[in-house]
Amino acid sequence: MSIKSNFTLSFFLLLCALTTLQASEEQVTVEFNQHIRPLLSNKCFTCHGPDANKREAGLRLDLRESAIATLDSGVQAITPGVPEESEVWARINSGDEFTRMPPAGHGDPLSATEKSLIRNWIKQGAKYQTHWAFNSPERTPLPTVKQTRWPENPIDYYILRKLEQNGLSPSSPASKETLIRRLAFDLTGLPPSLSEIDRFLADQSDDAYQRLVEQYLASPAYGENLASVWLDLARYADTNGYQYDTERKHWVWRDWVIHAYNQNKSFDDFTKEQIAGDLIPNSTPEQILATGFNRNHGITIEGGVIGEEYRTEYVMDRLITTSSVWMGLTVGCARCHDHKYDPISQKEFYQLYAFFNLVPERGQSGFQPQMQINSPLASSRMQALTGRIQNLEASLPAAREDLSGLEDWAKSIASSGNTWHVQKPDSAKSSGGTTITPQEDQSLLVSGVNPQKDIYTITYETTQTNITAIRLECLTHPSLPGGGPGRHTNSNFVLTGIELTASPTNKPEQSQKVTFREAKADYNQANWHVSSALDPNTATGWAVDGPTRKLPATAIFIAEKPFGFDAGTTLNLTLKHEASFGTHGIGRPRISLSTSDPKGLSFQGLDGAIVDAARVTPQKRTAIQQQLLQEHYIANHGPAQAIQVELARLRQQQSQGFPQTMIMRDQPGIRTTHILNRGQYNEPTDEVQAGTPTVLPGMDNQSPANRLGLANWLMSPQHPLTARVAVNRYWQMFFGNGLVKTAEDFGNQGALPSHPQLLDYLALEFQHSEWDIKHLHRLIVSSATYQQTSHVGRDKYIADPENLLLTRGPRMRLTAEQVRDNVLAVSGLLLNTVGGPSVYPYQPKGIWLELNNRPGYSRAYPQGTGKQLYRRSLYTFWKRTVPSPMMKTLDAPEREFCTLKRSLTNTPLQSLLLLNGIQFVEAARHMATAVLHQPFESDSQRISHAFRVATGRHPDNTELELLLEAFQQQANDFQNDTESVTNLLSVGDSPVDTSLNAVELATWTALCRILLNLDESITKG
Amino acid sequence: MKSNPIEQSHLLTNRRQFFGKASTGIGVAALSSMLQADKPNGQAKALPGLPHFAPKAKRVIYLLQSGAPSQVDLYDYKPSLEKLHLQELPEDVRKGQRLTGMTARQAKFPLVKSPFKFHRHGESGMWLSELLPHLGGVADDLCKITSMHTEAINHDPAITFFQSGHQQPGRPSLGSWLSYGLGSETENLPSFVVMLTKNSFNQAQPIYDRLWGSGFLPSRFQGVKLRSQGDPVLYLNDPAKQDAKSRRNLLNSIAKLNAKREAEIGDPEINTRIAQYEMAYRMQMSVPELANINDEPESTFNMYGDAAKEPGTHAYNCLMARRMAERGVRFIQVFHRGWDHHSNCQGNLPTLTKQTDQGSAALIADLKQRDMLKDTLVIWGGEFGRTVYAQGNPASFGRDHHPRCFSIWMAGGGIKGGLTYGKTDDFCYNVVENGVHVHDFHATILHLMGIDHEQLTHRFQGRDYRLTDVHGNVVDGIIA
Repeated sequence: MSIKSNFTLSFFLLLCALTTLQASEEQVTVEFNQHIRPLLSNKCFTCHGPDANKREAGLRLDLRESAIATLDSGVQAITPGVPEESEVWARINSGDEFTRMPPAGHGDPLSATEKSLIRNWIKQGAKYQTHWAFNSPERTPLPTVKQTRWPENPIDYYILRKLEQNGLSPSSPASKETLIRRLAFDLTGLPPSLSEIDRFLADQSDDAYQRLVEQYLASPAYGENLASVWLDLARYADTNGYQYDTERKHWVWRDWVIHAYNQNKSFDDFTKEQIAGDLIPNSTPEQILATGFNRNHGITIEGGVIGEEYRTEYVMDRLITTSSVWMGLTVGCARCHDHKYDPISQKEFYQLYAFFNLVPERGQSGFQPQMQINSPLASSRMQALTGRIQNLEASLPAAREDLSGLEDWAKSIASSGNTWHVQKPDSAKSSGGTTITPQEDQSLLVSGVNPQKDIYTITYETTQTNITAIRLECLTHPSLPGGGPGRHTNSNFVLTGIELTASPTNKPEQSQKVTFREAKADYNQANWHVSSALDPNTATGWAVDGPTRKLPATAIFIAEKPFGFDAGTTLNLTLKHEASFGTHGIGRPRISLSTSDPKGLSFQGLDGAIVDAARVTPQKRTAIQQQLLQEHYIANHGPAQAIQVELARLRQQQSQGFPQTMIMRDQPGIRTTHILNRGQYNEPTDEVQAGTPTVLPGMDNQSPANRLGLANWLMSPQHPLTARVAVNRYWQMFFGNGLVKTAEDFGNQGALPSHPQLLDYLALEFQHSEWDIKHLHRLIVSSATYQQTSHVGRDKYIADPENLLLTRGPRMRLTAEQVRDNVLAVSGLLLNTVGGPSVYPYQPKGIWLELNNRPGYSRAYPQGTGKQLYRRSLYTFWKRTVPSPMMKTLDAPEREFCTLKRSLTNTPLQSLLLLNGIQFVEAARHMATAVLHQPFESDSQRISHAFRVATGRHPDNTELELLLEAFQQQANDFQNDTESVTNLLSVGDSPVDTSLNAVELATWTALCRILLNLDESITKG
Repeated sequence: MKSNPIEQSHLLTNRRQFFGKASTGIGVAALSSMLQADKPNGQAKALPGLPHFAPKAKRVIYLLQSGAPSQVDLYDYKPSLEKLHLQELPEDVRKGQRLTGMTARQAKFPLVKSPFKFHRHGESGMWLSELLPHLGGVADDLCKITSMHTEAINHDPAITFFQSGHQQPGRPSLGSWLSYGLGSETENLPSFVVMLTKNSFNQAQPIYDRLWGSGFLPSRFQGVKLRSQGDPVLYLNDPAKQDAKSRRNLLNSIAKLNAKREAEIGDPEINTRIAQYEMAYRMQMSVPELANINDEPESTFNMYGDAAKEPGTHAYNCLMARRMAERGVRFIQVFHRGWDHHSNCQGNLPTLTKQTDQGSAALIADLKQRDMLKDTLVIWGGEFGRTVYAQGNPASFGRDHHPRCFSIWMAGGGIKGGLTYGKTDDFCYNVVENGVHVHDFHATILHLMGIDHEQLTHRFQGRDYRLTDVHGNVVDGIIA
């Protein structure tokens, strides 16, 4: 790069930026917002700005009143009209490094141009303006333009006006082939099909393009494409983040987003429901589901964390995400101190924080509140399921009456050697003062205080003799942490010891210790096997992976020799929880005894009382025995049982279909909000009430001071930011950059809008259309600006690399999701069903376990099979700590926090992925298979067709020649290399079409690999 | 797989043509320097003005010991604990230090001396645990810092802090800051490479991609994993295993078609894409060559131990780190998990030191014999320390997380050898002299690499972010 060329380039850009500023500087009005504020913000505000704690010399330059006041030192920073009497002017020009501003270490000295701007501004009276983004958008008359035939809609007047001011012209319209490809990707995230292209090319009517727009806006793929953009903002993932990063099921909320976009839910409702759906009067389940937006943050399960430290982070995350997404403000900067650049005080930060601080949640494993809500996408599927369940339920009473098989069954179990007698506890106490409450099913529910160590002592009376084993069932209960089996917040327990004594009921002094020779459990956590509950070591014991497996667990302890006294036995059972990991008691134990031979015993043997009843002849049974038998028979063996099984399966489908989704809920009064010194959770200072920053219009008095009030405030017509920020981000989606390039920052440090009037026009249009998202998208894609060609030659790319003036149409690499979806679509592999749980496409082996191999907290990647490998990428299981390498390589974020703009990079790892990734190589094979099944006569026709499939256009002669040459080379290479043929064709799980010649298929696969790796194939525009 | 020189030169000619065309008027490089600094080969180049001054280190090898090794038992020799053994930790030493949920409710905090003996090593007489015999052999090259301290008390925030200067996710990692600032030195390999010890102890703390992520920096600066199973770099190998010639044919076809398109449209992104495919091709040759340790003499394995022959061990990764250093990789990070010993320190520590001691020491000796230690900064350490008091029963004691003081070592690349820096109290609980905070640690690494930590910034959301946030002082006392 030569110095000269760099200079030329900078100079050109400077011209673009300062179009109104001409060489004879004094004739021109210096605009505070455009010229001065960015300078002051960048160079001065750190020490002379809104942050009161860091303010030097008592000087504040962001407010005129303060800037022109006489300072304590007696000087005036700015004397309007007289630069020579302004300390600012003297200081920026000072030759002394100790008095020059900004001081060393706080940025470079001002340039000559910058100084002259300051000088002229002071000379012209040092007029201040409110920061542009804090003023409400204003409607301006359409700009006048010279090329009046060019504009298609108002957008174009604003764009063209600026082009003409710069002596530039718009580019010609894009070819129809380019246009349909650009439009299809922008609206649906998928390539246009060849038949869609052909139809569009053939359609010469005036409204051909408009009808195409309507078609894509109405496609279900539109909602999926828009949703995948929203998921970055919402930091949606399928795991909980932080170090263990266990799975969460939150996809029903993702379904809500897809559905909302496809229904064209207004941005007003879209906003209010996601921020405060739970607080809307008479809210529907779907509105509550929407609030899952603010539960997408990570949640830690790491042992030993201080809960409040993390809960604070969750609230911070909600506030920062909500502020970034709806207001484009970096409020997070005011967490520890007043904002350095924007007028948001630390107090105001915590006033906003208060809106999100009433959720009844915990820091560690804080998954509540949750609610099971149906996916809005699956209502029809659910209706069918409900119908079948109702029919089966109707047939159930008759089936229950049928007891014809009862006695045969009773005979069959009478001799069972696998029975358990559930024992009714006589007394129970805890060494640590825990409350133990007997339940109807004879289990003991533990609650109340939760001591570090706890020993339960439980007594039973039994008439059984010859007892061979006892069974300990550790049942779950909704009142236990996480609904699991243990008392620790992570749902686990550790049984470090178990002791049993037996004494004759009439001679309690003859107590004998029962020793166990063996212990086994239906589930043992690695290194925490139940057998270690038999040793005296309190550092070992039985645990059951509570953090990840919130299920009951059962252990059996087999006695060294049978026990039980003829006169009745008193059993004294001790369950010890003395692990160094405290508060790990069992939550709901239940004890059973068995007299069966231990060899035949299973964890879930028959209930001893039933077997006893079966052994009695029908006539001699008591009424209770008969009822017990009948109930068991009906539930487990009779004709009703088959119906019950089917019902259970369907009900499971119903519930599995819709897991509990985390939602927002407020519990007023649950806690107060305080300013946190340095943003630290454990340094609360003054209490604050929920409120909004004073720099913005106030909240409506009628609105409640909660999240609903906040949402109403955001959506009020007076709010200067919401509409601008939203339209800007949509603009960014279509053009690569927003009209405000810093989509994430509309504050003082953000970029100025390149086309402020257009931004305001779009914002107002969005508001006046009642926040109609499809209307806005239609408007943008219908503009002549959008429809320009991007094939403009090197000079124009170099003149305006980022296309800030919009002299050409957008040309961009596809997003990560689109790159993959594209190859699935063009190869015909795509399974195009909308919504549902996340899926597991191809992934290199081992990349989950090599980072985390802790049993119970990690697992091998469960790669999908069959069609699940070919679903759209927004359904790919998103693991925050190890995102899908396909997505990540192509610049998708981890989603550990809100991302408003992805970087768009171009790396060798991307080349390797596209060249060698199984998904891509397999897609090339399928594309080749489809191409070979087309009835073409020549290779060149076939190549032409394949090229069109990949790029959406016909190749020209040069391209065709290059491809023919490539085809010949590949054909030669494969001709005598059967090993490579086999290797290539065996990539991917899907079967090979054996009706085709293998060498031929390999050659065409190689050709398709070339095509799918072209820059053009992964680019729109 | 060998490259075909004729094909190579043919392609280069083509590429010269492409770039030749592009460089009429304002060059492609000029353009990309505005967007993101690129060399013509597609690799990133240094930011303007960087390095800020002459660097003392050209590259860093950072052996990160995840889980937090015990300073009391390895580095920070405390004969004072002989007397204090089993006494209760005095409240005026603890000074209200917050504890993790694992020991916060422990009734007693009995001090436990190290069960391992310490010896002096080298001319400097540096104290090291008997568990580190090999390290003792290079003691005079080490700077042992016993006065490290941090704020985080749990693994995730602590290791995230060490890697990115911030406890919560979202900031760029140290390695990505270096790649961003200094660009790439090598034509054929990524500038930031990460290796993991495989088959770690299964109760080890997990780690995560974000630890080598690029945060808000462009994603190209994130670390690239060099793996010991499957493809060494993800997707490196052609699943069809075509020979080099066919492969070259395929890439040439892609390049020619892309070049033609670029000539028509003019979008310089296409040229970058062509360069990246070339870089990918070079990596397909350079990475297998890098990973092929069969060319190492037996003397190498005498130094690193036989474990270095087995891919994925710490020793193997140390050897690979040296090979990468030779090939111009700027930041190499090895993650070794398993130091989180909440119980049975006495049994667990020797297992871990056996895995790490020889390779770490060999790396220093090996770099030195190649005259590379002088400009290679080697770092060894975890994310915090461990408590001097026992977690659980003092007989089978574990140690809980301790942020107030811990030890790491650095060597080479402008670091004073044979130095023990900083001091802790008799309880090995608080720093009493020359404390080194994580931000200071970062500032010092950047300084050694020729970067003023206050000047390497990236604007994001209106703010100029830096690795050291608004803190950090270069630790002059350890710089040679």
